[in-house]
Amino acid sequence: MTDLMIGVLSFPALVLLIFLRIPIGLAMFMTGFCGLWMVLGSPDVPLARLKSESFTTFSNYSLSIVPMFLLMGHFATLGGMSQALFKAAEGWLGHRRGGVAMAAVGACAGFGAICGSSLATAATMSRVALPEMKRYGYAGGFSTATLAAGGTLGILIPPSVVLVIYAIITEQNIAKLFLAAFVPGILAALGYVVVISIYVRLYPESAGTRERIPYRERFRDFIAVWPVLVVFVSVVGGIYGGIFTPTEGAAVGALGTGLIAYFNGGLSFKTLGESFQVTAKSTAMIFFIVLGAGFYNGFLALTQVPQTIAEWVVGQGLNAWIVLILILIFYLLLGCLMDSLSMILLTIPIFFPVVTALDFNLTSLAELQAMKAMVVIDSGMLPEAVTGDMLANIKAAIANGVELTREQMRALDIRMSKGMANRIETEQVAIWFGIIVLIVVEVGLITPPVGMNLFIINAMDRTTPMVETYKAVVLFVGSDIVRVGILVAFPAITLFLLPI
Amino acid sequence: MHRIFMNLSRFMAVIGGIVLSALIVMICVSILGRTLNGIFHSDIMQTALPAFSDMALAVGVGPIKGDFELVEAGIAFAIFMFLPLTQMTGGHAFVDVFTNWLPERGQRLLRAIAEVLFAAALVVIAVQLFQGTLSKQKSGTTTFLLEFPIWWAYALSLLGAVSAAVVGVYVALMRVYQLVTGVAVLQDEGAE
Repeated sequence: MTDLMIGVLSFPALVLLIFLRIPIGLAMFMTGFCGLWMVLGSPDVPLARLKSESFTTFSNYSLSIVPMFLLMGHFATLGGMSQALFKAAEGWLGHRRGGVAMAAVGACAGFGAICGSSLATAATMSRVALPEMKRYGYAGGFSTATLAAGGTLGILIPPSVVLVIYAIITEQNIAKLFLAAFVPGILAALGYVVVISIYVRLYPESAGTRERIPYRERFRDFIAVWPVLVVFVSVVGGIYGGIFTPTEGAAVGALGTGLIAYFNGGLSFKTLGESFQVTAKSTAMIFFIVLGAGFYNGFLALTQVPQTIAEWVVGQGLNAWIVLILILIFYLLLGCLMDSLSMILLTIPIFFPVVTALDFNLTSLAELQAMKAMVVIDSGMLPEAVTGDMLANIKAAIANGVELTREQMRALDIRMSKGMANRIETEQVAIWFGIIVLIVVEVGLITPPVGMNLFIINAMDRTTPMVETYKAVVLFVGSDIVRVGILVAFPAITLFLLPI
Repeated sequence: MHRIFMNLSRFMAVIGGIVLSALIVMICVSILGRTLNGIFHSDIMQTALPAFSDMALAVGVGPIKGDFELVEAGIAFAIFMFLPLTQMTGGHAFVDVFTNWLPERGQRLLRAIAEVLFAAALVVIAVQLFQGTLSKQKSGTTTFLLEFPIWWAYALSLLGAVSAAVVGVYVALMRVYQLVTGVAVLQDEGAE
């Protein structure tokens, strides 16, 4: 059996193990270990790797963001930020039709800005919003579905734990990914609000009414969420502004929310110990999957499966967009079974080389040259080498989308080679693909019958049968799929904030 | 017996959490030092308060030396300390859609197999980490800035790794016991 064959056959073996309820990290670890053993003929190499690999994986500086963001989310809950956010949103939206549900979505988006995990956002906001929705006569299934969907905002709106992992395994810039996730995150929240307003018109009996709140109170509640804003701006702004690294940003955020929790009286030895334990469980779970994935992907790389698949797909001459859509459908189906992190660690090493090898025409050499040239031309300080005739030629070339000549580039004193253009395009594809995949796997979290967010929320509201949640969540899933379509069709929505 | 392991796991998780918090505070202090250092070096401070600025710089206001290395060593220790609790509470991610329809006994069998394999993996990881510690000690590798021997960090991590292996073996034994006798010792809490 060739190495390639062993690599290819490892997929069904791994999937079988996972479906037999072997923990995902362990399944990847074992498959990688045994695969290396088979390919190399002895267990010495994987054993030798293990001498340092567990330590180096767990001591990864960039990955240390993960426990810090998780701790930050718990501190935010202890500091009463989930209540503050919900109260502020409820003041402005609560009296509208379906307004309390809209407020829950808004509060989820706000909480997502200081929490990097979907399940934690869903669980935290449910504790606050479910009783309120019940009080104002909102139907059980409608309430639970709203919160399950709102929870997915936790992972989309930066900071996001899954994006950190994606950035690390694809060697992308974490700050750029956070920035790119921002607009799609806002779109998601708006989409859910639209779904709610449609839902309450279709089923008027599913939402009660709530009295208006005076403006004075609204402003007071709104101002009360300033800590959330301060933390979000300092973390995301600091990372993006280059003031500190993403890890440092996470530390600032965790300390900031910790201090807020302390001053709001939410932090005691007891609650601190509990936050440590909850953080410990999620962190160890995530890192064990990362360790297993590292082993499995090391083995796959040795068998050259990812390159071979990428070459094969490109060699087929398939349309890039069709390949992308097929990959997304695959994610949608898998997302119903698996948590987003495991799925990304499991599949990105295979799909990423494929997607970056395809040509989506996101940008071109001529376009990037034109962009740089326009900066020089618009600055009004043209270099002396650019004569009147040459300027006219340059402008004509830009207007026609033609690449500039070497002389023109030299005269303008700008640099943009074929290689640079390719690197920029690969980065754009990587970021765009990452955001779309993140959304698609999150859709899986709220897709009946197995979406995990649905279970978590439903477990918190014992009076609502699961079927009611399933029925109500369908429209939310629909809005997600529409949004994915829009983001696939218009990459600029994701990419326009990014600096070239 | 169960209480002992549970309390041990919780205790270790809390120690890991304290180390994590210490790292967070250290990073923030380092950022503060770095920022102040920049301010004291700036032209404005150097002309307005030269004596004070130079004094502050002289006493060492600046980024913490080797903070990067301390984070790496500390976070590895913390995560190894987190492992036992996850093991104890069955907090690892899994897919159970395809096994839920199995009869109770079949599910128990799969759980027992999974936990035995997990225990084996954790034992191998701990043993190899011990080997790694020895080889780092022999080679005498130190970190770049602080120049502390890397094997110290390995040895600290070993504490969590060995505990995880011990807890893993205990959990596996309990699952097998449950399979044979039908008495459930462990409850799942899962991760949030």
